Amino acid sequence: MMEHSELATRAFVDVHAIQEELEQLRWGLHDDGEAAEHAAAEARASVLNLITVVGNETRLRVVTRVLDRLSITNPSRTLILLAQHDRDSPKLEAEVSAQTRTETGHRVTTERVILHAHGEVATHLGSLVTPLLVPDLPVILWWPGRPDFDNPLFDSLCELADRLVVDTDEGFDNAHLERLLGVARRDEARASIGDFNWARLIAWRQIAAQFFDMPGMLPRLAQIHGVTIHHGIDGSLTQAKLLGGWIRSRMASVNIEVPVELRPDESHEHGVGRMLIVTGGEGGVARFSISRLQGARLCAEIRIGDQDFASRTVRQAARSAEELLAIELLLSGHDVLFERALAAALQ
Amino acid sequence: MAQAVTTLTENVLREGLILPRTPDPAVMVIFGASGDLTARKLMPALYNLALNRYLPSGFSVVGVADTAISEDEFRSRVADAVNKFSRSQPVDRAVWQSLAEGLIYLRMPFGDQEGYRRLSALLQQLDHDRGTNGNRVFYLATLPQFFPVIVEQLGSSGIAHAGDGWKRVVVEKPFGHDLQSAKALNQAIHAVFTESQVYRIDHYLGKETVQNVMVFRFANGIFEPIWNRRYVDHVQITVAEDIGIERRGKYYETAGALRDIFQNHLLQLLSIAAMEPPPNFDADTVRDEKVKVLKSIHAIDVDNDVVRGQYSPGWVAGQPVPGYRQEANVSETSNTETYVAVRLKIDNWRWADTTFYLRTGKRLPSRASEIAIQFKNAPHQPFARTAIQGLTPNVLVMRIQPHEGASLKIAAKIPGPVMRLRTVNMDFFYGSSFLIESPDAYERLVLDCMLGDPTLFAREDEVERAWALVDGIEQAWATQTPNFPNYAAGNWGPEAADALIERDGRRWRRP
Repeated sequence: MMEHSELATRAFVDVHAIQEELEQLRWGLHDDGEAAEHAAAEARASVLNLITVVGNETRLRVVTRVLDRLSITNPSRTLILLAQHDRDSPKLEAEVSAQTRTETGHRVTTERVILHAHGEVATHLGSLVTPLLVPDLPVILWWPGRPDFDNPLFDSLCELADRLVVDTDEGFDNAHLERLLGVARRDEARASIGDFNWARLIAWRQIAAQFFDMPGMLPRLAQIHGVTIHHGIDGSLTQAKLLGGWIRSRMASVNIEVPVELRPDESHEHGVGRMLIVTGGEGGVARFSISRLQGARLCAEIRIGDQDFASRTVRQAARSAEELLAIELLLSGHDVLFERALAAALQ
Repeated sequence: MAQAVTTLTENVLREGLILPRTPDPAVMVIFGASGDLTARKLMPALYNLALNRYLPSGFSVVGVADTAISEDEFRSRVADAVNKFSRSQPVDRAVWQSLAEGLIYLRMPFGDQEGYRRLSALLQQLDHDRGTNGNRVFYLATLPQFFPVIVEQLGSSGIAHAGDGWKRVVVEKPFGHDLQSAKALNQAIHAVFTESQVYRIDHYLGKETVQNVMVFRFANGIFEPIWNRRYVDHVQITVAEDIGIERRGKYYETAGALRDIFQNHLLQLLSIAAMEPPPNFDADTVRDEKVKVLKSIHAIDVDNDVVRGQYSPGWVAGQPVPGYRQEANVSETSNTETYVAVRLKIDNWRWADTTFYLRTGKRLPSRASEIAIQFKNAPHQPFARTAIQGLTPNVLVMRIQPHEGASLKIAAKIPGPVMRLRTVNMDFFYGSSFLIESPDAYERLVLDCMLGDPTLFAREDEVERAWALVDGIEQAWATQTPNFPNYAAGNWGPEAADALIERDGRRWRRP
């Protein structure tokens, strides 16, 4: 049974006042009796600072819901920047609050600051963010939607962040993917990058790897002929490109070049529908396939020559935004495999 | 495109994935397949491993029991059990179906030679049909008296050594009843399997929380330098249960708290708390260090260092509960202990003269497992005597269950113009950082066994050393009749247990 309570919400504009309010909430010194009781009941754990940038109120509501659910696994200081630099009438407002969630006898608490800025100040929010971060904890920048790569705010936040998390499923074309890779490969102050789409492919990558863990199958990997990736027909190819980039980059690490073909599949609207790896080897051509089935499942099959060799069905539940974000938050440092897969996807 | 054939020495696709290695396709033969353990723990663990993609294609289960049921009935029973006991709900029918395709029931008495011939043929057929390549896990989930019978038959029928592939045997607790029976069982098993093939389960070691104690000690540089006789005053290890013996009266009458908890769980916690840092996390390296602790325990003076107890009727959590002698399948004159407290020392450079107090009991006021390290007082207090009244030494507590985490008791100044100090607790709950569901201990252990990693399983010498300690206590007890019952349910054990620690000028913690 989960309970959720909000300890306090107050509006401020002065950074020192915001800092003071956060300290009050954090250490249970608040003059609000209930807030103090909750906050003082136990010492608190924080694992990270999370900065999120949104461009409108609708996105703010969505992001707030995701972060509420995320707080169950990641007690953090959360800064949500509602940055609307293209709106007239300069404005800067801050809301400070703390949320406590209780589940199975455990309690986690997050502090949240929502900074709402119009006009020029919206591009300089980075200067307000720095003093509000909890020291010594990693800083994650989650940019829902496609980042505005040319906005100075993007650059200033990337310099603060240890990790930038995006979802390349949200309208990234090759030019955007190039810019994203550029963030990870900057000479200075480079953030590592994470991508929800990469996390969505974990099951596909695991099963593909497990094929060749089976006894006698590893030599076939060295004799890989090619890979075909079937994708949905809605025109979004990023997932398929990433999966193809992954297998190409992995095989390139042992100097094996793999032709990858992307093919539309009318039985799926979106995402990867099927991956087929064809290899040579003893006993004839082998076909290793992973197919997405109805009801969030994957079917893995091996066929050698004209014989069915093995088959199994496993779960591939669609992951929610907070689950994908939680996966990204557990990673630290550069995800070299992802960066190589992304580079290979762009070739 | 023609390209030169490269020889791969490792699976390059595996790099970076959370699962380090997929077990080889194998057949798990569960002896005692119609029993409680299979239904409540094993099959739900296997289902969850399958669900989370930890099991390989071709993985198969042969359930062996002497219960008159058809294969369909067996599958249906197992499906019901998974539905009821799986930690992830609802059960995914397609995943279950995929696992159930490799699920077979074989009815046979455990000592029946003809049955083993049928089992052998069935295993060969599975190797052919499902590509399991002779890899086997023999899981002994039966009553202990069948362990030697099954192992002997696995040897004489040739199943234990047939063909290629690895063969491993998993033996459930209790592993023996005393040192002699444990040695006899080890001997019987070693007549067929080598030690590296034997996986003795103590499910406590599969708990995330117990593994966390090792992480706490060896991944944080600040604790190890003070983890010794110079700074530690004494250590208290508690495994307290508020429940009684539930439906286990028949078993408990032959076991008691000493065999049921002290021999395995308490001594495991002691080993982990007191062991030297292992140079690596290899199975034998870790177990070598744990065994060294057991070997270093100073001879226990049972009359002075051990207290046993048995509960009488009382109140627990606001409910009246019966005494032990009133429980089902328990003798009205039973002298089986439901509580034991042991005071011991470890003879090595790290711990010489440091006392360890271990206790476990049933029907205690609350459920708690913890390791508490009580540090010595600061060597000199510059504050006035009145300022430090009531101040207690630092205590570091590692809580195993419930509310897994750690707390450190420290002194702090009470705000105000006068210098007065008080003790405060710094608490850390793992739950406030990771509200992530932990896998069941059996999932971890079954997977480790299939991957050939015995780190979290008890080794022969570890088990025998633990039994030797228990035997010493049992032999001394056998010469005296205890005055049972000697504590009321809902209390922290007999008065003699308080006296045991108070003689040293200390007190039991209230966990």
